[in-house]
Amino acid sequence: MILTSKPLAFSLFVLLFGGIALSSTLGWWQTESTKTPATYTEGEFAGLANPADIRGSYTFGDISNSFDVTPEMLAHAFQVTTEDPAAFAIKELETMYLDSGYEIGTNSVRLFVAFYLGLPFDTADQEIYLPQPATDILLDKADLTPDQLAYLQTYTVDVTPASSTDAAAEPATSEEPAAVTESTQTESEAEEYVVKGKTTFGELIQWGVPQDVIEAIIGADMPDPAMKVKDYASANGLDFEVIKPALQLEVDKVVK
Amino acid sequence: MVTLFGKRFRLFRPRSIWIRRVVQWFFFVLIALIAVNHTLAESGMEIPFLSSASLHAVCPFGGVETLYTYLSSGLFVQKIHDSSLVLAGISILIAILFGPVFCGWVCPLGTVQEWVGKLGHKIFKRRYNHFVPTRLDNVLRYARYGILIWVLYVTATSGSLIFEAYDPYFALFNFWSTEVAPTALIVLGVTLVLSVFVERPWCKYACPYGAVLGITNLFRVFSIKRAASTCKADGACSIMCPMNIPVDSVNVVRNHQCISCLECTSEAICPVAKTVVFTAGGVK
Repeated sequence: MILTSKPLAFSLFVLLFGGIALSSTLGWWQTESTKTPATYTEGEFAGLANPADIRGSYTFGDISNSFDVTPEMLAHAFQVTTEDPAAFAIKELETMYLDSGYEIGTNSVRLFVAFYLGLPFDTADQEIYLPQPATDILLDKADLTPDQLAYLQTYTVDVTPASSTDAAAEPATSEEPAAVTESTQTESEAEEYVVKGKTTFGELIQWGVPQDVIEAIIGADMPDPAMKVKDYASANGLDFEVIKPALQLEVDKVVK
Repeated sequence: MVTLFGKRFRLFRPRSIWIRRVVQWFFFVLIALIAVNHTLAESGMEIPFLSSASLHAVCPFGGVETLYTYLSSGLFVQKIHDSSLVLAGISILIAILFGPVFCGWVCPLGTVQEWVGKLGHKIFKRRYNHFVPTRLDNVLRYARYGILIWVLYVTATSGSLIFEAYDPYFALFNFWSTEVAPTALIVLGVTLVLSVFVERPWCKYACPYGAVLGITNLFRVFSIKRAASTCKADGACSIMCPMNIPVDSVNVVRNHQCISCLECTSEAICPVAKTVVFTAGGVK
């Protein structure tokens, strides 16, 4: 059977556009994201939305629809200043941080959401950077594993986006990765006197909380001052969410 | 055909497959319009009744790039959608039947290289497309498989479209966008300059998708076949082949570089009827 150019052209069109029409009928022809991430298919998280499938075309609002993260928190984490955080498309992050020297974009949002919600996320062989405010939120509110803490320590950067006009945003003091330790805490944060996940026992003493009061709250001798209260709590089977308000109460008493 | 003194003569014999040019123009314009419409849609000025899909969504190679990630986790790599997988499947089916028709008839980057190549043909005449020494050329032809392996590896390990930063096809239809990496524009520029000397240089030496489809040349249903009994061995088919395949020295073209353009066949350059044909059966 010899085929000449015209039947070949005809066959090409029929197969190509016929195939597209068929796939469209079957619901397979999707040229854009449905704004609903795929779910985990196995394991204890099966059925939950998978942050690894967050796309650049998603807005903070889209993420908020699938994950328990507010657009406002995402905007704060990534230093986005806008009156409508829900409408901010995350693919714009790369442009915002273009001059920072670090790639902060869709992958960064995926990492943040996964760490924040305690969902599995593969960081092996990946260099995903987070701005300092994002890491601060994670340290404060997320239940991070030692591996995740180590990852954040390596890949947190203290940068300011080019288009950010947020007066509250931290100024860029360095373009080197910022260590996730008390030394990265800015003065303004320290002066807030708020007990957070990264607050150390040393800071509590520094703020004026008596040692015996701290010992009474934790029910043990004062540990190493450099130790974070949250780390101590998890290492000793205490509930940080119970200790935190008690300590905050004492902090509020002495800093008034 | 006319009959004179009992013999049949063909008064006009096209030297090129004109319908292929029409199809190439069609897909070039279609993809260009979709790419422009994608940009317009972002500012709310979308042309109605025309797809505003991203270029990645209408590129079958995206389906190849995401295959590992999709099979291992059920997810797509960044910027890739279901449509890419559908197109990859359709293109493979077409290639199994007819060879890499996608390369020779559809791919707009191949079309643009051919257009630039016409300039090279006018300048260099018969020397055009014969500048690269045969030995070097034979080795370079396999470079695209190395590139394919690299692209699949980095995409699988990163979950990102790393190749986008080097992709001349993406650069061609997005050169106005900030999404295009300077490296991709450089690769596009180099490709276009080389096209003045070599026909389809990107396809021959670097295209990872051409590498994938090229494999189907080894077992496709319809192939270019030459009837040795009627062949005049004038070498016209080999000279005309944009991919420099020595068609006149084989009975069946199984070369991994064939793009099924049909320019070597008796319908185009071969002066003897039914001698170089595109067929699923045998030839006399």
